[in-house]
Amino acid sequence: MKISFVVPTRNSGRTLAACLGSLRSQTHAEVEIVVVDNGSTDATVAIGERFADQVLQWGPERSAQRNHGTKCSTGDVVVFIDSDMVMEPTIAADIARTFEASPATGALVIPERSFGDGFLAHCRELEKSLYVGDPAVESPRAFRRELIEDLGGWDENLTAAEDWDLADRTRAVATVGRVTSYIWHDEGRIKLRATFAKKRYYGRWIDQYVSMHADSNTKFARTALVRKPGALLRHPVLTAGLVALKATEAAGLLLGVRDSRSASPAGSSSAGASRDSRVA
Amino acid sequence: MRILVLNWRDLAHPAAGGAEVYTEQVLRRWVAAGHQVTLFAASVAGRPAVEMADGYRVIRAGNRFTVYREARRWWERCGRGSFDVVIDETNTVPFLAHEWVDDGARTVALVHQTCEEIWHHNAPPLVAHLGRHALEPRWLHRLASSPVLAVSESTRDALARFGARDVTVVPEGFEPPSQSRLSPKEDRPTVVFCGRMVSYKRPWDVLRAVQNAHRELPGLQLWMIGGGPLLGKLRRARPDGVEFFGRVSEAVKHDLMARAHAHVSTSVREGWGLVVTEAAALGTPTIAYDVPGLRDSTLAAGGVVVPPSPDALARWMVDLLPAWQSQSFEPLPYGGAHSWDEVADRLLDAVLTQARVPAVSVGLVAA
Repeated sequence: MKISFVVPTRNSGRTLAACLGSLRSQTHAEVEIVVVDNGSTDATVAIGERFADQVLQWGPERSAQRNHGTKCSTGDVVVFIDSDMVMEPTIAADIARTFEASPATGALVIPERSFGDGFLAHCRELEKSLYVGDPAVESPRAFRRELIEDLGGWDENLTAAEDWDLADRTRAVATVGRVTSYIWHDEGRIKLRATFAKKRYYGRWIDQYVSMHADSNTKFARTALVRKPGALLRHPVLTAGLVALKATEAAGLLLGVRDSRSASPAGSSSAGASRDSRVA
Repeated sequence: MRILVLNWRDLAHPAAGGAEVYTEQVLRRWVAAGHQVTLFAASVAGRPAVEMADGYRVIRAGNRFTVYREARRWWERCGRGSFDVVIDETNTVPFLAHEWVDDGARTVALVHQTCEEIWHHNAPPLVAHLGRHALEPRWLHRLASSPVLAVSESTRDALARFGARDVTVVPEGFEPPSQSRLSPKEDRPTVVFCGRMVSYKRPWDVLRAVQNAHRELPGLQLWMIGGGPLLGKLRRARPDGVEFFGRVSEAVKHDLMARAHAHVSTSVREGWGLVVTEAAALGTPTIAYDVPGLRDSTLAAGGVVVPPSPDALARWMVDLLPAWQSQSFEPLPYGGAHSWDEVADRLLDAVLTQARVPAVSVGLVAA
């Protein structure tokens, strides 16, 4: 069973070599790597050409890049990877084995853990460890080709929450399984200001996502955070940092939602909002 | 061509490392090619202040802190007017030759690695913070106005963060071990670590990773090669399946490295990470932390980089070792590095094309 990994990139030079290197050293023999770049100006394309089978150029956003990658890849299974992820060597073998063992399964969740530099990255590590096994947060990444094609791929109208949207549509029509190997997500050095700006940018798509999905409220509650109080109590300092981090993100999202409501049409607001967020 | 190289140590210094080997290999070849070469370095107990070594002249003065001032003084007294190009080889502290070479000679800096996180491993906490956040940024910002040569992409990226615009990557050199026949691999899954037992190489991480991996690979053994201040403590921890060899001869080291299935490296940061190249030349692939320097050498040699944590290293060892045991790796003679002849040629080319007459002497000429 051939596994295609589709990696959308944009100025991802910092993390891309580790990401693609981990895909090249998979224990499974049939692995294809497709990098879909969107006008990078750093070393991204050079790194891509060193490791990947195909390096494509496509835009304008991540969803479109992923759909184009799906179209150009040839595997029986398509796995969507971000450029700041490092895959354990047995992931492809795990995916192939799970799909072969259960023909009814259409998509697979790959659990994630994060790593990075500094205190906030450790807080994030704690947060991600609480999400493992929570279907409200985890989205499937590996799809049988028939399934992702039937679903019509990623929604190119969404730039944020597109993974939740696809997860919802997948669960409606197919069984979602999971594998045991982990993806390691490189958080780098987390800065509150940058986190706030990013969430504010994403916040502008939330209204649109909510209007498409009636049951979406559960997505924002993140009950997993309080469902395992033991883990939080064991790390009081990290928990305090996590509270600060989540508060910053929530504030960013709320402001983003407000931006999208106060400015219409949405297209003209984008430049202004991103300028605002930099000022903020 | 008359060349002056400023480096805080020469190969005779007891703490000489990879940068000094690089300097020595290159200078020897430049002399053989007919150039006139002088190396200025800190004094070494029991060695003369002026000495000829391999055809080039070594001048020694000052200690690790005062060598920078001594270099400038020596320039004032004897150096001015006798060189065509000055190479400022920077190990954390630059000589800042482009600020005081004022006779029209051209200058260029050569940087193996930046110090950054290593400060916390080599200096007491207060000094480390001062060094990392105040001193080093200031030094590198001053150096940034000079043309710079860096030995790896990682070093170039690090220098760019400190404002250097004119950085050229030059190759790292390597001499393949002269072993004619490689020893066969061990029967048990075997991992080798080779480096000084000092904090910034993180030998404890290797021990922890191997202990974690032991649960799933019960036969796993680890060979630790190298001396250093942490060796005693590490030995006393008596971890299962770990053997410490201390400092060994090159032949023994190469034999052990060739017999292992994987080489691991966990440094905080390296300029290039020659030990990775060495392992690849002996047919042993590397699993290394994804940090500057190791990233360059490991990926060039076909190894694997992992998130910098013992948990990750353990996961990758468990996943990869069984496959690597039944797979044979062809030795890569240069493992992503280059022969010293080529390095000497390309470095000289880079020096000739990149070196510039610094602004101080341009001002002098104009006046």
